[in-house]
Amino acid sequence: MKKWQSIVILTVLAILIVLGSVFGFVSLDKGELGTKNYFAYITNISLGLDLSGGVYAVYGVDESKLTDEQKDKLDTLIEGTRASLESLLFSKGYTEAQITVSQNKIRVEIPDEDDPDRIFNLIGRPSSFEFKEYVDGAAGDLSLNDPNGKVKLDSKFTGNDVSNAGVTYDEQTGYWQVALSFTSKGTEKFSTATSALTGSKLSIWINDEFVIAPNVNEAISTGSATISGNYTYDQAYDLAVRIQSGSFPLVLKLEESNSLTATLGSSAIKAGLISGIVGLVLICIYLIAMYRFMGIAASLSLWFYSLTYLFFLSIFPWVQLTLSGIAGVLLSIGMAVDANVIIFERIKEEYRNGKTMRTAVTTGFKRSLGAILDGNITTIIGALVLIIVGASTIKSFGITLLIGIILSLISSLVLMRVVLRCILVFNDESKAKRFALKRAEEEVEEEIDEDQDQDISSVEKNMKNIDKGGVLR
Amino acid sequence: MKMPKKARIVEKHGIWAIAPVLIFLIAVIVFTSFAVKNKDMSKGMNIGIDFAGGSILTVELGSDILNDSEKYNEHYDHIESILTSEDIAKQVVDFAKEEYGIDIPVSSALASISYVQTSGNDTDMSLIIKYDNISSAYDTKMNDITTQRNKILENQIRDYYETNYPDNGITVSTSYIGATASATLIKTALGAVAITMVLILIYIMIRFEIWSGIAAVVALIHDVAMMVFLVIIFRIQVNSAFIAALITIVSYSINNTIVVFDRVRENQKKEKSIARSTMLDNNSIVNESIMQTLVRSINSTITTMVAITLFAIIGTASVREFALPVIFGLLAGFYSSLVIAPSLYCLMKNTADKRKAVKNNIIKKDKPKYAGAKN
Repeated sequence: MKKWQSIVILTVLAILIVLGSVFGFVSLDKGELGTKNYFAYITNISLGLDLSGGVYAVYGVDESKLTDEQKDKLDTLIEGTRASLESLLFSKGYTEAQITVSQNKIRVEIPDEDDPDRIFNLIGRPSSFEFKEYVDGAAGDLSLNDPNGKVKLDSKFTGNDVSNAGVTYDEQTGYWQVALSFTSKGTEKFSTATSALTGSKLSIWINDEFVIAPNVNEAISTGSATISGNYTYDQAYDLAVRIQSGSFPLVLKLEESNSLTATLGSSAIKAGLISGIVGLVLICIYLIAMYRFMGIAASLSLWFYSLTYLFFLSIFPWVQLTLSGIAGVLLSIGMAVDANVIIFERIKEEYRNGKTMRTAVTTGFKRSLGAILDGNITTIIGALVLIIVGASTIKSFGITLLIGIILSLISSLVLMRVVLRCILVFNDESKAKRFALKRAEEEVEEEIDEDQDQDISSVEKNMKNIDKGGVLR
Repeated sequence: MKMPKKARIVEKHGIWAIAPVLIFLIAVIVFTSFAVKNKDMSKGMNIGIDFAGGSILTVELGSDILNDSEKYNEHYDHIESILTSEDIAKQVVDFAKEEYGIDIPVSSALASISYVQTSGNDTDMSLIIKYDNISSAYDTKMNDITTQRNKILENQIRDYYETNYPDNGITVSTSYIGATASATLIKTALGAVAITMVLILIYIMIRFEIWSGIAAVVALIHDVAMMVFLVIIFRIQVNSAFIAALITIVSYSINNTIVVFDRVRENQKKEKSIARSTMLDNNSIVNESIMQTLVRSINSTITTMVAITLFAIIGTASVREFALPVIFGLLAGFYSSLVIAPSLYCLMKNTADKRKAVKNNIIKKDKPKYAGAKN
């Protein structure tokens, strides 16, 4: 690497860090920019119930509409509804929503939501969802198990056959669509229905009201489908939620809803922010004191890591920071340093045993790679298990963790390496002290160490011999 | 860093076991003494409302208190004094005795407030107070007693407001929440931890060897156990935040152990190529590896502790309640990765090596013990 190259790289990094800090933490009012308000991206990180409060709603079960059979196993049905609600809220990004059941009532608490009525009304609106065979001009469309129809199914094709309903954007038309995925039973039904109705139409009914009748172009057996009806985002979103709540085992009735204040509140966020920033500064000072110029390289990449981490937390859906999330972020800063420390200790050791500064750096990185990768892969395994197995709260923690590990790997293995090389360009072999590097003979602790160091250097020699001898075999 | 000439770490496994055993014993003593005092196993730990279940009291107040913090406090203090009044607790105790013939101590019939929220806007302001249920949420009789207590509390508060603020149209309601939701949370969390441990074990077995895998997982279990014990000793509330703390430690603490074992693996390779012998001196290799990674272990522990310790110092009581278990876990992880996992590894590895030697007839089969000692 040439000097000018490293100057360019370091300058770009410095600019990025400064810009990141400004965009991350400083919000601007209209007056200052002249155009739109800008909010620091850190304020876009969505927060859990404990930190930001939210809204709550209590749903009751409409007992008059229950059949006797349903009354007998009401507990199971309520539990099923609770589970469906949980997955509905999770899929809509409310990963930290809390749902509790008390005496045939379901209480839902959703964090960080401005417009409580909308989501609650959508859930609470009794909805039934059904696919029917479209009969033009007739009094009503035919249920898919109607003896007069073209399609013969064992039972009606309803919301129970839909496992998930989401919103997607159609780039060609510029409109939003509702994406459906079916349960295994639903997949079968949909495939039978679409193959029987190829060339004609399928109609969709919500609450026995006609919604849309899309053409069936071909048999679909993939287990998923999209409904495109030139919707705006809001229309598609509402439809998706209604379809999904149509699959609930029970029809819910909204009894009360209101806003909620945070249990921990802004003091916890402030404490997290202060301890994060002060902690980061202290860690940087410590690193520079311990490792001098190498510490500077680590500090730069650590700042960059923290900024990008916050940025990803603010743009990623499914991240809702709670108290434990904040602590996770704080810990991850410390853990990101870990890889750097492993590398530096290795570089010091290689240099102590007689390598030149540059080879010490290269071998230091190479030899510490195993430990860093193994350590982080086990953590990644942990995070993935949390995401796959965990309930919603644990899931969102796992996602936070995973983002942190991946970014920290990038920052220590790639970014820090580049920065360290850039700094090395300006320092020749005589400046080793600036990097806190010492030869074995320079070390003060000879009287204690002698024995072991000789062991190690003889090991090195033997290693070299063996490496060379290896060719003969 | 200075290091002693020949560190003897793994040989002293007896000493290293003392601290964890001591902590375990103290935890047992604290647990039983609290359980006996309250005549209830579940009181041995300080279990939070989200796990034990709880009750929610909602008091809808008129608008006159919202913008006046003094009045807010006045209302809150009054409601709190009703919630924690001994008279009501005694009524509940009597009720339990008459209806069910159960003796419960007055102290456990007292409601303990877990947190307070406000809700609504200027015209319609509510206080939402969550507090614990009486005893375990799984006992149906206790549930009935709790519901009865909620009724008494509700009536007392309603009476107070109807006499003192007849025009405000205040409504009071309580609802009882079982522990079902939290039971699933604990189940999935523990399931996740167990699966993680098995996968980590498999990964380490592939990348290292079976003994390091077992030692690392035992170290993980040690860390988790120490967190639980220390939380019992310091009477810290166990709630979903604690579960999150446990999971955090499980995912982070394995790192430390891996770094030590990585060094062991590397030193073993070196040693093998020089000595050209199948029998390695495991103890000295592991001791050396610990010393070589010591600086890194100390540095990493310091840097991870800095931010979280600051958080505990600056934060409020509930922040501290979460941060402390994490700090315990980090310390336990430091300890287990440096001494517990390596010692255990050596114990198992030495035994395995001896067995192998016996199998290969290097040592006579009849008296493996003596022969092993000579070797």
